[in-house]
Amino acid sequence: METAENTDTKEVLSVLPWDQFSEWMHCVCVVTFDLELGQALEFIYPNHIELSESERSNICYLAFPDSNSGCMGDTQYCFRIRKGRSTRRKLTESDYLCSKDCPVTLLKDDTHYYGYVYFRQVRDKTLKRGYFQKSVVLLSSLPYFNFFKDIADIIAPEYFDNGEPCLEAACHDIDQWPSPVPGKPLTLPLMGMILHVRIPTKQDKPGRKLIEASDNVASLAPFTLSSINRIDLFESLQGVLPHIHLLWELVLLGEPLVVMAPSPTVCASTVLALVSSISPLRCYCDYRPFFTIHDSEFKEYTTKTQAPPRVILGVTNPFFAKTFQHWPHIVRIGDMGLGNSGGSNPSLLSNDSKLKKTSKLKALDSKTGVYTKYKPFLKKDKLFLKTFAKGLAGKRPGTAQSTLLERHFLELTQSFIIPLERYLASLMPLQKCISPLRAPPSLKPFRPEEFFQMVENNGPQLTSGTKGDWVGLYKRFIQSPNFEQWFLRRRSEIEAKIMSLHLVALSETDLESWCYEKSEVEIVDMVLRLRQKISMVTSHRLEVPAATLERLNNQITSITDSLPPDLRGILIKA
Amino acid sequence: MAAGPYNYSYIFKYIIIGDMGVGKSCLLHQFTEKKFMADCPHTIGVEFGTRIIEVSGQKIKLQIWDTAGQERFRAVTRSYYRGAAGALMVYDITRRSTYNHLSSWLTDARNLTNPNTVIFLIGNKGDLDAQRDVTYEEAKQFADENGLLFLEASAKTGDNVEDVFLETAKKIFQNIQDGSLDLNAAESGVQHKPSARPGQTLNNEQQPKDSNCSC
Repeated sequence: METAENTDTKEVLSVLPWDQFSEWMHCVCVVTFDLELGQALEFIYPNHIELSESERSNICYLAFPDSNSGCMGDTQYCFRIRKGRSTRRKLTESDYLCSKDCPVTLLKDDTHYYGYVYFRQVRDKTLKRGYFQKSVVLLSSLPYFNFFKDIADIIAPEYFDNGEPCLEAACHDIDQWPSPVPGKPLTLPLMGMILHVRIPTKQDKPGRKLIEASDNVASLAPFTLSSINRIDLFESLQGVLPHIHLLWELVLLGEPLVVMAPSPTVCASTVLALVSSISPLRCYCDYRPFFTIHDSEFKEYTTKTQAPPRVILGVTNPFFAKTFQHWPHIVRIGDMGLGNSGGSNPSLLSNDSKLKKTSKLKALDSKTGVYTKYKPFLKKDKLFLKTFAKGLAGKRPGTAQSTLLERHFLELTQSFIIPLERYLASLMPLQKCISPLRAPPSLKPFRPEEFFQMVENNGPQLTSGTKGDWVGLYKRFIQSPNFEQWFLRRRSEIEAKIMSLHLVALSETDLESWCYEKSEVEIVDMVLRLRQKISMVTSHRLEVPAATLERLNNQITSITDSLPPDLRGILIKA
Repeated sequence: MAAGPYNYSYIFKYIIIGDMGVGKSCLLHQFTEKKFMADCPHTIGVEFGTRIIEVSGQKIKLQIWDTAGQERFRAVTRSYYRGAAGALMVYDITRRSTYNHLSSWLTDARNLTNPNTVIFLIGNKGDLDAQRDVTYEEAKQFADENGLLFLEASAKTGDNVEDVFLETAKKIFQNIQDGSLDLNAAESGVQHKPSARPGQTLNNEQQPKDSNCSC
């Protein structure tokens, strides 16, 4: 068929310059402080890349820490901006390979860019202002938070010391990289180093290390990244540890949430930690690890005429304390997390960790804490918090605490998902309902009441020690975009599976006998239907064995043969 | 009949005929894709299009044979007529020659289809009124004299395109209901699929909107 030939020619096409680069990154931006213009885009590399006006402006403002944060030295953080319509592109074969086994949380983002910022501010008497202030921003569609932080950490200092040729060399190296296909050990040369990474797959067992000994590269790795997207949960959330369960619920439900912190590094890592706390679920609500008053969405997100939007924002500008006064949930992080981790941690279980009730003094109160009236549906997992507190007292290393926290969230989220998955499975048509000569059966509709009833008896209480109103939590979750997008994705995955099974059944049917005594019109209809199904394999990326496709094509030939010769000729040509 | 109960109860075969360049493929494309195809290549042999429509509460799948208009394919296209329930005969209102050839197309249609085949005359390119070469009245008279349904349409703007395909189906369906079209005749061009009963929700054909066959 024509469709099969198309895929062949695609593979033959040679790789053009910057094709591989664009699999990983959109571009590198250098933002400087111009005495007359303020923050300005000094240049973009590769220089053929075009950015829209609003993208440029957002990048410029987000590339520097907001006012009053006085970050001296080097600062790293991440931001997220909306993509302009014109820059969205069509999906390619390689996009398909990269997304096929990719966990949803690591998928290339079609609607947003991530900016991985490396900002340097140092005294320099030779400059008019007395300061050197510049940022290198790696712009990418990939939410590989940790990975790009490390890449920026390699590229930016080199650039600051040696200038533009370093970026050119680095981008050239990246253009040689293999595509970010999950599950494969990838060897990535960069500025004289070799990076070894493996993008996780959705089939990976939780807790799998980035590189396994069996991947056979670990032993010779001079530089191995610890993880593609892992956020140090302990470090990022240490100011609000008593409230992690409440925060987990807020993120899960897609509630409006603002994180106020003294530096972009802290607010960004806190937002990213919150977003990744519900992994393997993806946060489909917008989140901005770092957000400023100059952002193009500032008006949209701070309007008081509507209810606060379902977004998670990280801010540092004290001005926001007033702007977000009416927001239902505010996380404030004081000086903690600024590197001086020797400070005392609030007790996890004692009374001083109580939620701060929203009061009129809120805006002025800068004490670390969570300001909300929200009553969690679930009870705190005291057992976990005790174990965790013991670790704190016993000076368990931060990385171990982080792993503990990560595992706890994972168990909680998994316990939450399992009943949903189980219910979804019950909506599947039975295999015996798939009849080759009938249309593929469809998934039964999701009936919330039916689901809640199931949860009463077979809910998360089976897999989680956490007690509380699970049904209440589901009721709210089902109204959130996080559920909606999760369901849409799962449904289309299941429907693709049903379609594939249907195709296999059709390919194994004796259509020649079916044709017997059928009218021409009906046989032509069958041929057209078969052709449509074959083309659907390509257009919908159905996973169908090659043998099935071949059998389907043979079916077309054999039933065409049952037609009168003149019609046969027509159908073969058409 | 053990035909598969997809969510349509009938299949109607249509053919589209007429001189080269009158816009046959564009009419089909407008009907199946709701888009105007600006640079339409010459049709070679035949192209197929399908769409499921509803007439009197019945789902009907149209199997549309778009034939080549070039004279050199004329001999081949004759075999396409077999079993057509509807024939859409197209001319270009800005080119008189395409209108003048209608009688020869009509002769083919009459000779090669069965007496119940519904023939619909279409004056295409109705959007180019300034360059009109055939008046509406003249064509209307021709249609009346020969017992044809008639409309002027525009594949470019989509004007009347939907109506042409739907009116033809309504007329065919009416013929079935009043018994003038014998479903059991092999040449009727209509296939009833009696095993499809309404209410069998499991059998919805899951066709994405963009998947109309355009092989």
